[in-house]
Amino acid sequence: MRRILVDAERCAGCRYCEMLCSFHHEGKFSPSLSRVTVIKKDKYGLDYPVFCHQCDPCPSVDACTTRALTKTELGVVELNEEACIGCGLCVDACTFNAVKLDEASKPLICDLCGGEPICVERCPTGALTLVDSEEEGENPEEVFKEILKRWGISD
Amino acid sequence: MTDLYGYAGKVLRIDLTEKKTHVNKLDRDLALHFLGGRGFNSKRLYDEVAPSTEPLGPENKLMFATSPLVGTMFPTACRINISAKSPHTGILGDTNAGGHFAPELKFAGYDQVILEGRSREPVYVFIDDSDVEFRDASQLLGKDVYEADELIKADLDDRRVQTAIAGPAAENGVRYSGIFINLMRAAARTGMGAVMASKGVKALVVRGTGSIEVADPREFERIVKEIETEIYNHEQYWPRRRMGTTRILMMANEAGFLPTRHYTSGVFEHAEEVSGERLAEEYNVKVRGCFACTIPCSRFYVVKEGKFAGLYGEGPEYEALGSFSSRVGNRDLNVALKANDMCNRLGLDALTTAECISWAMELYEKGLLDKGEMDGLELSWGNGEAILTLIEKIARREGFGDILADGSKAAAEKLGRGMDLTMQVKGLDLIMADPRGLKGFGLGYAVASRGGDHLRSEPFVELSDDPKRGEEMFGVPEATLRLAYKGKGKLVSYFEDWCAVIDALEPCKNIMQNMEILTFKRAAEVIEAVTGLRISASEVRLAGERIVNIERAFNIREGVRRSDDTLPKRFREETLPEGASKGTVFEQEPMLDEYYAERGWDQETGIPTRQTLERLGLGYVADELAKWGRSPTQKAD
Repeated sequence: MRRILVDAERCAGCRYCEMLCSFHHEGKFSPSLSRVTVIKKDKYGLDYPVFCHQCDPCPSVDACTTRALTKTELGVVELNEEACIGCGLCVDACTFNAVKLDEASKPLICDLCGGEPICVERCPTGALTLVDSEEEGENPEEVFKEILKRWGISD
Repeated sequence: MTDLYGYAGKVLRIDLTEKKTHVNKLDRDLALHFLGGRGFNSKRLYDEVAPSTEPLGPENKLMFATSPLVGTMFPTACRINISAKSPHTGILGDTNAGGHFAPELKFAGYDQVILEGRSREPVYVFIDDSDVEFRDASQLLGKDVYEADELIKADLDDRRVQTAIAGPAAENGVRYSGIFINLMRAAARTGMGAVMASKGVKALVVRGTGSIEVADPREFERIVKEIETEIYNHEQYWPRRRMGTTRILMMANEAGFLPTRHYTSGVFEHAEEVSGERLAEEYNVKVRGCFACTIPCSRFYVVKEGKFAGLYGEGPEYEALGSFSSRVGNRDLNVALKANDMCNRLGLDALTTAECISWAMELYEKGLLDKGEMDGLELSWGNGEAILTLIEKIARREGFGDILADGSKAAAEKLGRGMDLTMQVKGLDLIMADPRGLKGFGLGYAVASRGGDHLRSEPFVELSDDPKRGEEMFGVPEATLRLAYKGKGKLVSYFEDWCAVIDALEPCKNIMQNMEILTFKRAAEVIEAVTGLRISASEVRLAGERIVNIERAFNIREGVRRSDDTLPKRFREETLPEGASKGTVFEQEPMLDEYYAERGWDQETGIPTRQTLERLGLGYVADELAKWGRSPTQKAD
């Protein structure tokens, strides 16, 4: 499965990915319209950009009662806007909190920009890579714990 | 909404006395003539804060302004200007910080927020898109910046809000307390924290879910990609990413202008031990960045050994690092890190705090202060324990800390001694570059509209010591030789205009100016692509000049004259004893003559002439200065 892999220790938390994403998909700048969301913990210097992990099976696709969400050949989740009733069940179902709703209550889910994600291409620190992987997605909180342990921060 | 792209289009006025808010449309002419950020604030300060207003009284206004570029992906555009009349200096006060607060304010729909009046009970103000809430802050009183941030996020049950917080030092009325963004991004010069606290406000908190559109997306994308490439290929890219501004410490030491033991030397024999290089090698674990930054230069450090093992945080930048090492004669890097961390948590300006301590150390060294007056503290050079104890005392206004809590100038007045040794201009304590080794920087400190500070001009080309640059830029080769005097009036006025434009557009000055990315020409291109306003490069520079002049007029109205544009006596009379800047003093008068001529200000008084103000479309300012009897072309009644 093609997916975006995050190197959390490289991520500087600048949220350039959020800006690139909303601009290239929606033509405007807005974290609320970005398909990626960076989780930040300033106190501990931690940052983690959350993307759709292209899970198979995808809980959000399964939760969709009108079949507005389907998986494409590339493995990404595609939205049929006409079928979507804006119920938000997909948001609740996603294991990684990677789905949000736009102004019209339609889900925003990473589509890998059709195969060449712009965030991967232009991440200022090279924290993102596009890989073929069957591994399960990471839980950012677990990743944070490991990093803090490595840095010797205990509280 | 406004008919301009890029801007959020609204100005939010918050009346704390009546607990009311008003929203006004952003004025198109204001945008065209003052651009944003510092420009918006300085214009409004001049228009709305009358002379002789008490800085800590309800009539003062605290303004937060950002810019049309902020909230887009324009690299490094993330900053906010916070302004009011300063309780530290009594003149124009303003301070600036990066992080993630300013874009959030844009996404909430505002270019500028004005806090007015005074709340009777402690509050924090929560801007939640178009809703504004005055929330009870009684549980937050006395809490440090970190604790308050945590409590606010818990109270709102939202981890994504952005906070601008005043620490305990501000609540205690320390006149150089700051406002802190993302915990460690200090908007800390000129006492804006004290102003916020005086209004009964512990924090300004914002959540924005809106969006920003640009006028010409294709052209904007082209400019952004061009800038990305320039940044990645720049010779300063890796040193900055590795060390941020801390890379300056060793450079300053080698050039002999690293303020050491309260400016008694420009060379610190232990510089390597407290250098950015050492931090990078032994302490830093990760790079972090402000919003939309493509050259993230902030560093997260962890202290692994010694008494302060387990201390961690972001930064420090050069000014704080040098302030708590060479300036106070301290060679223990861990003490410098701890001191910076304490200033962040307590909400203090690290530069002024260090100046006050360093000044007291010199007085003690010279026998002008005794231990009894300093609560028994052994304030000898580099005594880490005494330094840390005194920081706490300043923030709490306890004992000797209370004497120092209003800045070095006020401390000298209270004690009745040591005024000649205070390293300040117009009451603002100086930064970490000895002007005897950098004449243009020194002229910049003398004339800066917020007092002794480099960020109003920062004529970095002087560091090149390359006469070709001076010839190219100003037709004067000496203008870019750091120990020469000629051409510095041209140099400083040019860089002042440029800094004003950067502060109005709110990207990072380190990148956009020092790396020469955002020239006047490119600023004009990007303003047009983002806002749709058609503006030329010379009009952009004119906007910078307009900002500098209206700030000067604000200060003139408060009584500032040429005689106030002066550096401390030491720089004018004593030479540096060693190093690459040895043997020279700072001769300011010829440079000031040249500077006023360049500016179109009266030579005798330093007041902008009517002709200058009218050329900038500020005729109403000339009228008002004349009414006050302060125009050089008209006699007072």
